Amino acid sequence: MTKFIIRRLLLLIPILLGLTLLIFVFTRLLPGDPATTILGERATAENMALVRESLGLDRPLHEQYFQYMGGLLQGDLGRSFITNRDVVDDFLQRFPATIELSLAAIIFAIAAGIPLGVYTAKRRGTWVDAGGTILSLIGISIPIFFLGLMLKWIFAIQFPILPDSGRIDLVNYFIPRVTNFMTVDALIAGEPGGFIDALRHLVLPALALGTIPLAVIMRITRASVIDVLNEDYVRTAHAKGLRDRTVDGRHILRNALLPVVTVIGLQTGLLLGGAILTETIFTWGGVGRWIYDAVTARDYQIIQSGVLMLALIFVLVNLIVDISYAFLNPRIRHS
Amino acid sequence: MSNWRWFSVFAVLILVLAACGDPGTSAAPGESDDPPASGSDASEPPATDGGAGGEPQTGGTLVFGGAALAASLDPALTSDGESFRILQQIYEPLVDLVPGTVDELEGVLAESWTGEPEDTEYVFTLKEGVTFHDGTPFNAEAVKTNFDRWQTFAEEFQGNAYYYGAVMDGFGPDNLIASVEATDEMTVTITLREASPTFLFGIALTPFSIVSPAVLEATSADDPATSTLGTDTVQGGTGPFVMEEYIPDDSATLVRNDDYHGEHTAYLDRLIIRPIADPAARLQALQGGSVQGFDLIAPGDREAVDGADGLKLVNRESYNTLYLGVNPTATDDSSLADLAVRQAVAHAIDREALIEAFYGGGGSPADIFLPPTSGWFDSVGEGAEVYEYDPEAATDLLEEAGFDADNPATVNFWYPTEVTRPYMPDPQGLHQAVTTMLEDAGFEVEPGSAIWGTEYIPAAQNGEYDLHFLGWTGDFDDPSNWYGVHFGYAQGEPAAQFGCDVDGLEAAIDEAESTLEEEARGAAWSEVAQLVHNEVCFVTLVHGDTAIALTDQVQGYVANPTGSESFLDVWLSGE
Repeated sequence: MTKFIIRRLLLLIPILLGLTLLIFVFTRLLPGDPATTILGERATAENMALVRESLGLDRPLHEQYFQYMGGLLQGDLGRSFITNRDVVDDFLQRFPATIELSLAAIIFAIAAGIPLGVYTAKRRGTWVDAGGTILSLIGISIPIFFLGLMLKWIFAIQFPILPDSGRIDLVNYFIPRVTNFMTVDALIAGEPGGFIDALRHLVLPALALGTIPLAVIMRITRASVIDVLNEDYVRTAHAKGLRDRTVDGRHILRNALLPVVTVIGLQTGLLLGGAILTETIFTWGGVGRWIYDAVTARDYQIIQSGVLMLALIFVLVNLIVDISYAFLNPRIRHS
Repeated sequence: MSNWRWFSVFAVLILVLAACGDPGTSAAPGESDDPPASGSDASEPPATDGGAGGEPQTGGTLVFGGAALAASLDPALTSDGESFRILQQIYEPLVDLVPGTVDELEGVLAESWTGEPEDTEYVFTLKEGVTFHDGTPFNAEAVKTNFDRWQTFAEEFQGNAYYYGAVMDGFGPDNLIASVEATDEMTVTITLREASPTFLFGIALTPFSIVSPAVLEATSADDPATSTLGTDTVQGGTGPFVMEEYIPDDSATLVRNDDYHGEHTAYLDRLIIRPIADPAARLQALQGGSVQGFDLIAPGDREAVDGADGLKLVNRESYNTLYLGVNPTATDDSSLADLAVRQAVAHAIDREALIEAFYGGGGSPADIFLPPTSGWFDSVGEGAEVYEYDPEAATDLLEEAGFDADNPATVNFWYPTEVTRPYMPDPQGLHQAVTTMLEDAGFEVEPGSAIWGTEYIPAAQNGEYDLHFLGWTGDFDDPSNWYGVHFGYAQGEPAAQFGCDVDGLEAAIDEAESTLEEEARGAAWSEVAQLVHNEVCFVTLVHGDTAIALTDQVQGYVANPTGSESFLDVWLSGE
């Protein structure tokens, strides 16, 4: 097991090196550069030259790449071209917001997706199953921005029971940011009301973000449970006179969950970088929106380093999934 | 069924959360935990009052939605309105625009000053008793330190210090500033290499705010590699608010400066700016109660706010202009090389219809480049040709130039994507409308679009489009900031964007730039305006108003056409 982990970690090095080159080339292939974003209507040739020079963009491409790599190897991921903020500081400040939202979304997706998947699988071929399948199809295909705006319109404006955006009620709670997890910071600040308020702010964005993973998890769970239901050992378990709950928990779920865990891991990784729309609609200051803004502004330094850090995290999440897979499935562990 | 129970528990949890709390409540003024401002005079009415009446009340928190937070927290390195919105509450320049005006200056950190547009020496007598938020005193040395810092900016900073470069004609010892001397403790003498009529208006901009020298030193503000002035929460200003917390992409929290040197301290306990990029999301935030005001309402949403209970609009008169760039040199054998064809373009466009359709009625037709809010509007506009909407005249002009239905004048016409601007709320819609108008007059239009910052701007600036939309928001009130910036010659070449090489234009611009006396300067720029308008180097279309949406609770907000607005006089009523 240890060898397996070490091998996977070593593999990271060439993957990340290749990624830096890929991202560097792709960012430079995008039309325009940060100078046009900084200057807007004022982008005369003279102003452009001045800005490009001050950002070092007038140097040959390979020089820019080696300079970036030089910094990277010394642990310096650079500073934003637009704001001059340290990219790592910016990332660390935003990442907890994204994790908090992604966790809430994935918890929602798991809590609703697995029971729904099992429920529909056990009623395969009935109208409940058909309804569930249709709902999950809608869930997968509904555009997040539409769902987000609808959720806001219904639950924050027409029936104002939940906040429309943001992470905390800024008027009533001043929570000093310590960890940048708003729920945790509210507890640290000794504000139970703030904690509840932070949770309330999580509900709508988590529903919007969690809908697609919910649908995916539900479908995979359903398919997987249907497969397992037909296995001999399930029939045997029933024949032995085991209670339904025991068969469900020990025999069906335990086996059916293996592919589900993989999907959950993948979906969590995707959520971390894929919350762009949700973060924009609910003005959630996370990593997705940060990188999206950087791409729009051609802030190369943020795109390069931000995507690299996200890629690293994505790979690590997958590693953890593989390990948990091995843990869940003794056959893999022992091989 | 045990799994079903899980789901039920989760659903109940969400319902409980929804039931908790009372959204939309805010601390009523006077109920805040913060002590009342010492030295504040709540009975003193604000200098100007844009809201309903009543005595200003001290207290409360205002959450305001902007499109973004600051690009940098170092005022000298910013050039956009969103950065200014935050930084001008914290930092102050020597002089500033009188609230609500674009062409009147008042002292802020300067008690008084001598120096006219024709002069090269300005003497500023500074306000006594002002301290920076870090407790250090404001004096002549502090002013000199800041001016010296800007002039000697490292190359890495110069790209972002756009306004310093523009106002002072670049950086380094050879720019406009000959010297800045602290003549005594509270007097600063600034000597220019040559007279500059835009100097005073230039230094009224937020990037010319004075920062505490102690903070400059503590944040290594001169070193691009290590400076933290642009990123950290520091107490380096003299303004009515102090930065308490700044979370990028999340919020900027400002609290009242209880030692403010003005006539009164701020009425608000706390001002929080939230970045909400999408205009629809800003409106929802106001309707949902998570902000009490926001800027840059989408024109189509004006009605939703104007007619809603508990909400109101504060209109901000335009200080911008949308124009149609007309370039006769963009393509070979362009039909636009003929003046009659260019005049036909100008007559073909119904500007009133554009204002109704795309600006929610908030705007005015642009007869000349300068908006009516400019102090130079009358003098510069005199004599410039105004092209009224007259499609028949347009068709006649095309026929005069030898074009008809069988042989139409063909033009390519471009608009930008992925952008809206106060002067251009819906580029694609505007493009469709103007295309139809041009086609009705007899033109054949080849449409084109490109991404704003990365493709469109460079191509437009290079003069690659026959017709294109672009616009301008004034930096400071001088005709040179409008006509000079756009039509100035470089090494004898006209601006590539317009390819407008009119006889006598270069000499007229040179003359206007160097004419300093106000009346003569107006007349000189009027010459320039006549040349570019009469020759239809561009067609000025619309001055688009913008607006701030507020809850009825918010009082005292005064809009300024330049967008330079202080929250000093803003207060929350208890209604």
